[in-house]
Amino acid sequence: MTPDRFRAVVSTVLIVGVGASAALIAIGFAGSLVVGWQGSLLGRGVSTASASDFGGIADGLAALRPVAIAQAGLIVLVATPVVRVATSVAAFALEGDRLYAAITLGVLAILLGSLFLIR
Amino acid sequence: MSLGADVGIFAISIAAGLIGALAGVGGGILIVPALTLLFGIDIRLAIGASIVSVIATSSGAAAAYVRDRMTDMRIGMFLELATTSGAVCGALLAAMVAPSLLYVLLGIVLLFSAIQQAFRLGEELPASTVASPLATRLRLAGSYPDSRLGRDVPYVAIRIPLGFVMMAGAGVVSGLLGIGSGVLKVLAMDGAMRLPMKVSSATSNFMIGVTAAASAGIYLGRGDVDVTIAGPVALGVLAGAMIGARILPRLSNRHVRLVFLPVLIVIGLQTLARGLGLAL
Repeated sequence: MTPDRFRAVVSTVLIVGVGASAALIAIGFAGSLVVGWQGSLLGRGVSTASASDFGGIADGLAALRPVAIAQAGLIVLVATPVVRVATSVAAFALEGDRLYAAITLGVLAILLGSLFLIR
Repeated sequence: MSLGADVGIFAISIAAGLIGALAGVGGGILIVPALTLLFGIDIRLAIGASIVSVIATSSGAAAAYVRDRMTDMRIGMFLELATTSGAVCGALLAAMVAPSLLYVLLGIVLLFSAIQQAFRLGEELPASTVASPLATRLRLAGSYPDSRLGRDVPYVAIRIPLGFVMMAGAGVVSGLLGIGSGVLKVLAMDGAMRLPMKVSSATSNFMIGVTAAASAGIYLGRGDVDVTIAGPVALGVLAGAMIGARILPRLSNRHVRLVFLPVLIVIGLQTLARGLGLAL
């Protein structure tokens, strides 16, 4: 993989992640103006869950609740840097740069480890 | 939140994203005081929204910076190794250390760095140096296209061990206090490793998202991220960061220093005040 191609791939990962996130948050926000944050775009009645509780996101998405759609957007946003690091591991490896594939893999391991370690 | 408040938060977030993208820091310095003081939002939810804003600034700006060769991905990844391990240590130490003393120390360090930065305000590019064997081995050198100077500007990282240690320190501090990682990263790359200011800012921007993502899961799980606040913040910051990323290549390194210095002073004062128990 050439350095230019590498940059294009990483840049695309970021644009797709950021774009998907922004779209979901914007749809959630627009929906909240119509049925309220806790309402349902499918007309399933109003939920009582807190807007900061991410535990009910699956049920909320099934009922197309604006709060859950926007929460999904935030999760995509938080996941974007992680996916970017994972993509970089593969890209450095394809470029034949083993040292940096290893360094980036180390970063990814610490990143994923921290999600489980710090509770 | 009323629609008016949402629009207000959105507008402030655009400014935060813009400044963050130019200075290489997350938008927290603007977001947290604005949300708490102007909109009366709980500090816990304001900090949760600011973590989201750091990731939005980073990813929003980095898409353009990576494509335009402003970000040095090798330097970023190498130093991220120091930052992320530091951040994990910091988070583990958090229960054992008195934060007020740390805030005071960090505030003093930042204000001293501000004096150093002030002396460097007129510097466009660092004096060119020869790559050390370590820099060659780690490929910590490159070039970036400077549209203002109209040429590719080569650079080499110097004092790599010092930069690495400062980056680990930045990680520990951000793990402990949840703030200041962006400014410390810029200071390590510009001050210690002597990279061009625009490369320091763009590479810091690239890195802060990863450092913040490492702790964002904790904030989400704790219920500190309220989507009705963090959502408008994320949208505004993304827009601001994308605008900032278009502006940075056209600025001179001196201009970027002029944006960075006041940010550094404000963060330094905020941190010191927090350590001394003053609200700011």
